Amino acid sequence: MNISTTRFGDINIDESTIVHMKGGILGFEHFKRYALLTHDVNIPFWWFQSVDDGSIAFVVINSFMVRADYEPVISGSEVELLKIESPEDVVLMSIVTISTDPFTITANLKAPIVINSKNRLARQVVIQEPDYPLRYSIADPEMLAKGDENIYISGIKNISSELAP
Amino acid sequence: MLILTRKLGESIRIGDDIKIVVSDIKGKQIRIGIEAPEDVSIHREEVYQMIQEQNLLAAQFDHKGDKELVHLWKRLKKQKEERK
Repeated sequence: MNISTTRFGDINIDESTIVHMKGGILGFEHFKRYALLTHDVNIPFWWFQSVDDGSIAFVVINSFMVRADYEPVISGSEVELLKIESPEDVVLMSIVTISTDPFTITANLKAPIVINSKNRLARQVVIQEPDYPLRYSIADPEMLAKGDENIYISGIKNISSELAP
Repeated sequence: MLILTRKLGESIRIGDDIKIVVSDIKGKQIRIGIEAPEDVSIHREEVYQMIQEQNLLAAQFDHKGDKELVHLWKRLKKQKEERK
């Protein structure tokens, strides 16, 4: 399907790769469908682009790349809601906040987007235990690069060719 | 805002599938039990506000064009170099 986005223009998304939010992203609850976009597979930041509203997109990063010892407790009701059968199917993504002046970049470890990579159901889950920061500073590219070994989710749309001038 | 008075153990229904029970009262603290459909998210107000604000802030990163994240990545690396 084709979607019109404010940041990337018109892009074509394979419908089977769409992530379906249960309960939505807090503040954006009405938007349930998102696509994962990248334009350079060597960069750990991706876009979480709303399919329903082309102007809404978040920069996200795999939470384990931000903190390798990240171990949030996900409650049984969340596991049930997302129909998670095995821990290996879970992908945790942190929403990244970027401000340019002064240049700071933080990841939200308090409320990651929990994605079941099998059925692509997802939810922004507030982690109670342990208490992780809402604004965790990302400042170490080398550390991030190591996280490449982490298993990712399939169906990330590479938009570099579509965006080439 | 609708205000209702309830005693310990009494409850309130919101729509067909949300039930709120006053489960304990101790001085100025009240314990509340909530039954709601599983996809309804329930948060303490202050936590909800905090996360919503952060999400709204994150969504403002709306640089046009395609190479923003590459720039970001390079900038992060450069910043690291400068600190050494």
